[in-house]
Amino acid sequence: MKILALVTDGFGASGGIGQYNRDLALTFSQNSRVRGLAVVSRFGNEKAARVAGINQGGSHAHWLPWSLTALRKALQMRPDVIFCGHLYAAPLAALVARSLSIPLWLQLHGTEAWTAKSPTVRRASETATLVTSVSRYTRSRFLEWCNISPTRVKVLSNTFTAATEKPTRPSALAADLGLSGRRVILTVGRLSAAERYKGQDRIIAALPAVLAQHPDAIYLVVGSGDDRARLSALAQTTAVADKVIFASDVSVEQLPDYYALADVFVMPSTGEGFGIVFLEAAALGIPVIGGSADGSADALADGRIGRMIDPCDVAAIADAINLALAGKQPCDRSAVERFSQSNFENHVDALLRSFGQSSGTIRS
Amino acid sequence: MCGINGAFAYHYAANPIDRSELVAVRDHMIARGPDGSGLWMSADERVGFGHRRLAIIDLSPSGHQPMSSADGRYVVTFNGEIYNFDALRRSLETRGHVFRSRSDTEVLLHLFAEKGAAMVHDLRGMFAFAIWDTLEKSMFLARDPYGIKPLYYSDDGWTFRFASQVKALLAGGGVSGAPEPAGIVGFYLFGSVPEPYTTYAAIRALPAGTSMTVARLGAPEPKRYHSIAATYAEAQAFDAPPTPAAATIQAALRESVRDHLVADVAVGAFLSAGVDSGALVGLMRDAGAVDITTVTIAFEEFRGQHADEAKLAEEVARSYGTDHTTRIVTQSEFSADLPRILEAMDQPSIDGVNTWFVAKAARERGLKVAISGLGGDELLGGYPSFRNVPKLVGWLRLPGNLPWLGKLLRSATVPLARAAGLNPKLPGLLEYGGTDAGAYLLQRGLYLPWELRHWLDADLLATGLERLAPLAMIARALEPCPRSAFARVAALESSLYMRNQLLRDTDWASMAHSLEVRVPLVDSVLLKAAAPYAGRFDGRTGKQLLGSAPSKPLPESIIARPKTGFTTPIEDWQKAMPDDPHPKSGHQHLTGKNAPWAREWSTKIARYQICGSAA
Repeated sequence: MKILALVTDGFGASGGIGQYNRDLALTFSQNSRVRGLAVVSRFGNEKAARVAGINQGGSHAHWLPWSLTALRKALQMRPDVIFCGHLYAAPLAALVARSLSIPLWLQLHGTEAWTAKSPTVRRASETATLVTSVSRYTRSRFLEWCNISPTRVKVLSNTFTAATEKPTRPSALAADLGLSGRRVILTVGRLSAAERYKGQDRIIAALPAVLAQHPDAIYLVVGSGDDRARLSALAQTTAVADKVIFASDVSVEQLPDYYALADVFVMPSTGEGFGIVFLEAAALGIPVIGGSADGSADALADGRIGRMIDPCDVAAIADAINLALAGKQPCDRSAVERFSQSNFENHVDALLRSFGQSSGTIRS
Repeated sequence: MCGINGAFAYHYAANPIDRSELVAVRDHMIARGPDGSGLWMSADERVGFGHRRLAIIDLSPSGHQPMSSADGRYVVTFNGEIYNFDALRRSLETRGHVFRSRSDTEVLLHLFAEKGAAMVHDLRGMFAFAIWDTLEKSMFLARDPYGIKPLYYSDDGWTFRFASQVKALLAGGGVSGAPEPAGIVGFYLFGSVPEPYTTYAAIRALPAGTSMTVARLGAPEPKRYHSIAATYAEAQAFDAPPTPAAATIQAALRESVRDHLVADVAVGAFLSAGVDSGALVGLMRDAGAVDITTVTIAFEEFRGQHADEAKLAEEVARSYGTDHTTRIVTQSEFSADLPRILEAMDQPSIDGVNTWFVAKAARERGLKVAISGLGGDELLGGYPSFRNVPKLVGWLRLPGNLPWLGKLLRSATVPLARAAGLNPKLPGLLEYGGTDAGAYLLQRGLYLPWELRHWLDADLLATGLERLAPLAMIARALEPCPRSAFARVAALESSLYMRNQLLRDTDWASMAHSLEVRVPLVDSVLLKAAAPYAGRFDGRTGKQLLGSAPSKPLPESIIARPKTGFTTPIEDWQKAMPDDPHPKSGHQHLTGKNAPWAREWSTKIARYQICGSAA
């Protein structure tokens, strides 16, 4: 079968959605059922990220040239399936799918799918033959507003490549950050004033109760964004300013060293579509703590990978951190391994096969 | 006849299934199966079944469930009865199958091994079951053609769960209790929740007459293998056969009753003053049943009135020589039982109280199995809807083609109807009366859609109405559309009212007393025999046909008696209950004296059963 993928963030783009789209596109391109794959993205740098077997239609930040490119590709390629990598592109993808009488596969990531969308987006979504969601939570929120049969909405979790072993603690970096001899509580995530859902502020609020039991603890906040000033001020007013270290502009390559500094990874978020950072930390053997009110529950495997708490309960956050620092948090490593690339690939294969079964229009 | 449940962690990312959850769901259904329990889990803990047993056929431990096939490939958990299991077994044995028990459960394993999903076509009975295929790593689930036995499931995207009861699924703690607007709106429209919806977004019914195979991608769309409308439509594609209707149908009735008596325990009967239950007792006697125990419930309030069933039922009992009990139910017993009734009520319903008490009485008499006349009105045209729906459609088909006219008239007449204290459904006459689906909603609807804004939150109502699409839902029960008006109403009544209300209520209200109710008039083989003659009889002649089916016919006083159904004085009793919630802003006329009385009752049910639904 031939797949035309319309995505927002493609090859060469940063962020979780881009990563997911790349993982999926690569999986498509390596699947024996797929004879052709074209990706038309809005953001990315295809020159920097050429991949054999994938026809990239260029990236077009403006919606109009992006849409026109998508239509041109559709006419050239005559795909068997339209993959739509973002809810907001659903109307265009549905139009193409309907014009060619082929099935639409729609991908959901996170908050974009949690609340009711415009009638145009909704109607387009309802025409999808298959919807995949990165987590159970996103799936259930989508089903609240979209009048589509739940049997057509499946979960296809984020995947990740586990580091083989925990890197040794980089002592130079620890010294640079003033963390030597400290036990480190780590969060990795954007500091966005507009979103503010990752929960760094709630961890700062929990710090006094943590420090009371673990005076050697220190909180390392990795991530950039415009919310840093507010968080700094909060640390001041909570009288823990000297126990909170901010590290901005950390590159993807540097990230493993920062993970290696951590004694516990905490992100009591309320806005995760999935929360791949939990898996990345847990794979390195770091105890992880996350929230129970969003897609984090999937990345935490309902508490098997890490402790799951009410993300808005500051006392529960402090208790969980204290337990982890006291070495009282087991982690089921086999649960982490379930999110491996090979399981992801097998599931994509099953989804592609089901497409062949459910739709008479597939020409293989 | 039992309670079943199971879980399947089908997604690669899902945790292994939780044994304690499986046990909690299973044991929430202890009343469904007090005689024993079983649990099976696969070695890799990805799938498990639970079972609570009410032992009726093969009382020995060899009937224990979940049951595995001899080669270990298949495992089944089953609720119900397969009435033709003996014939199936003999036929399977001639093809080399070797049986280890006398149970109907084992027949399912062998039949599935031989035929796969197509096995459902061979089954006569009431059933809901799941079969795990260890090799294919898939789970096959099926439910009987009419939906006599319940089966609910939940698929959260990782794990598939199922159980005989909605409340049991919730009791396991693994399923979300978030509300389903379509189910809640459905309850207000019909007085029961129309399948596949429940009042919970995460839980759906496996529709009657469908099956599904759950594999690594979770729950698929259920596949229909039986349709009541199709049975009528196919039977009526040709002219009715020249054989007389009465002889053919009576023979089919005798056969159905005979098959429904298969059991290793005594089979009794509910007896009212109606034709259906009386004729069944006569037919039981013809089939060789002796020492039949029968029960009737009666109410002080009805003594000496037409609604008092006791005297006539006693006359029938005497005529057939049954061991009969008239059980008096009082208001104080109703009040005392009400908390347990509401607890046992699996999904909100405005009915079921009568069955609760008659089942209670049967159990007090030591019965484990009782025959009920349920289904006779649907099969033989006993309801007023068989006259009213075609009449309305005939009158209003032409003006009904102008939808704006109906809406306009309704808007204009709602205040008039209110001022005049008329039936609040009356203004919807033109808007709904012109089609089978609309006229049926008028006839059976508890409320009509426009009235619901007085009860329900606007967003919930809009979402619920859009998802449920009540008229389209009713119309689907007529696909393919049978030719005769009689068959169309029969298909609607059987696929909607009987399925979603009567059968479901009978299930929870009888199982709460660990009593199996069997319904020989709700049977796909009988339906197939009767369908070609649909329309050749009406409510009166249909009941005559049934009443004269036993070798010793029912007394004429019973056959000629106007229908009352199995009524209770609940209309008066429920007035003593706390009167809350009230409709919004002075719309008391919605439950006023000319409105269906069950409206008032429904608000009380909703208060207990639907979290946050009532305004």
